[in-house]
Amino acid sequence: MIYKVSYVVQGGDFPGAIKNETEMPTIGMRVRVGPRFFRVVEVYEMMPPRDGFQFIHVVVAAEHEVAFS
Amino acid sequence: MENAINLTDSVTLFQQIELFGGLSSAQLERIALLSICEAYMNEAVIFLQASHPDAMYIVAEGQVAVIVDDIPTVYLGRGQVFGEMALVDSGVRSATIQVVDDGTLLYRLSINKFLALCQEDTAIGFLLMRNIAKDLSFKLRHRHLDSSDS
Repeated sequence: MIYKVSYVVQGGDFPGAIKNETEMPTIGMRVRVGPRFFRVVEVYEMMPPRDGFQFIHVVVAAEHEVAFS
Repeated sequence: MENAINLTDSVTLFQQIELFGGLSSAQLERIALLSICEAYMNEAVIFLQASHPDAMYIVAEGQVAVIVDDIPTVYLGRGQVFGEMALVDSGVRSATIQVVDDGTLLYRLSINKFLALCQEDTAIGFLLMRNIAKDLSFKLRHRHLDSSDS
């Protein structure tokens, strides 16, 4: 299964990303969006899977924001 | 810089890309033979906003930034397609594309060769156009979610 992931950065100050991943993102996972690293804070399915692809929406936050929330 | 990747590796990679969903290995080989794999360094500009298109691209490794009016709007990573709008509407580039990671690998597909293949083999053409529509739909959903979070 390939996970086609839409990453959105919490707060909207930084652009998101779209990437294919081989592993399902999980809360707390460290991910790279553009040149920076973030932590996953929300994960949900965007639409039903088809043709070997799962479509996932992920919200990420800056690592220091996750640590203090 | 052109990168030597064999046909089998290209087909294996293409099987993991939604754009090529539903295509057989033989059909993917035909597309792979039309494509060139190139490696880029960080900050390389692939094309400029408002320029005239001649190719579409697939990210095999690394990331690129999609920049509209000098503002990065989204990053595209492994398995993503860009420059495909030119296939649909023949218009000028809607964004500048700049490489984010050293060693980013991109497959470059000539639009003319690609359209010729779609016309010659309409089964391939139908699936590719359907898949391009799905990909554009996914990008619209992403953009909607991104803007609703800001």
